[in-house]
Amino acid sequence: MTETQEETRQAGDTAEGAAPGLGRGLRILHNLGWTLIYLGVFTLGFVVHQLFVTTWFAEQNQPELALERLEQWESTEISEVVVVPDSTDPDDPNDPGISSGATGSTGDEPPEPLILKVESPPDLGAAFALIRIPKIERLQEGWNVVEGVRTADLRNGAGHMPDTALPGQPGNSVISGHRTTWGQPFHELDALDPGDRIEVETALGTHIYAVREILVVKPTDFWVADPREGAWLTLTTCHPKFSARQRLVIAAELVFGPNAEVIEVMS
Amino acid sequence: MIRRVWRVLPGPQWARISQAIVLTAVFLVVLHYFYSWLGIVLLDQGGTVG
Repeated sequence: MTETQEETRQAGDTAEGAAPGLGRGLRILHNLGWTLIYLGVFTLGFVVHQLFVTTWFAEQNQPELALERLEQWESTEISEVVVVPDSTDPDDPNDPGISSGATGSTGDEPPEPLILKVESPPDLGAAFALIRIPKIERLQEGWNVVEGVRTADLRNGAGHMPDTALPGQPGNSVISGHRTTWGQPFHELDALDPGDRIEVETALGTHIYAVREILVVKPTDFWVADPREGAWLTLTTCHPKFSARQRLVIAAELVFGPNAEVIEVMS
Repeated sequence: MIRRVWRVLPGPQWARISQAIVLTAVFLVVLHYFYSWLGIVLLDQGGTVG
């Protein structure tokens, strides 16, 4: 190392290190300044990471997830359940008003049996559905939904909560999604109004829901995922934006799709 | 700080450059996971309930 280089190196040490030539007060100020600069860089990095890097990763995954979803649809087993509307007492809570299979009718004329299509449940982490919301620009082309709401699952943007009904099936199908990070598919969910359309495409076909309820709840309000009569889709996301303090919940009812008619009769 | 780390790297120039690249990659991966964890805690938990 030449003498000039050594001098330059020492000058750098003085500028960045303990600043021995300065008094105690100035040294504290000097170190505080550097600490604030490091904190600023760290915070700026955090903001850039959350807003852009996570979304970049989630968007990069979308084409791969789309292929995975199409493969999943090809391998999905679809079974048909015969549902015979029953003419028993509708006020009896123990009587669901339907029976499955070829028996169960007690009326004078046997009601026409209906077919409920049921798809096999997807594997955890697998892309199996596409959600489209025409009113939200980001979701007009659709966003892939994976099975599961683990942290790793939600790095793809949106996930279906296991143990809730699949989209297009009777009950309450819950899909959770990021609002400000990881693709932010549900960023504009608060733009929805009652009556707006939500489409979910699965191996069975396209299920169309109409928004009925918009709620803001606590993150611990698990009741929003409870089963419901009929076929419902519940979308949940963080609220307000850039905060995990609450949850924005959109509840939508199935109005059209492969199973809409039979579920309406069942209800 | 970067200069100090560079100075303590052993070996010739090419070896130090290689080590610096590996260290930078490891640092960025660790930072990515740390930021991800921090984001889930502070900003956006993916909308899950329960």
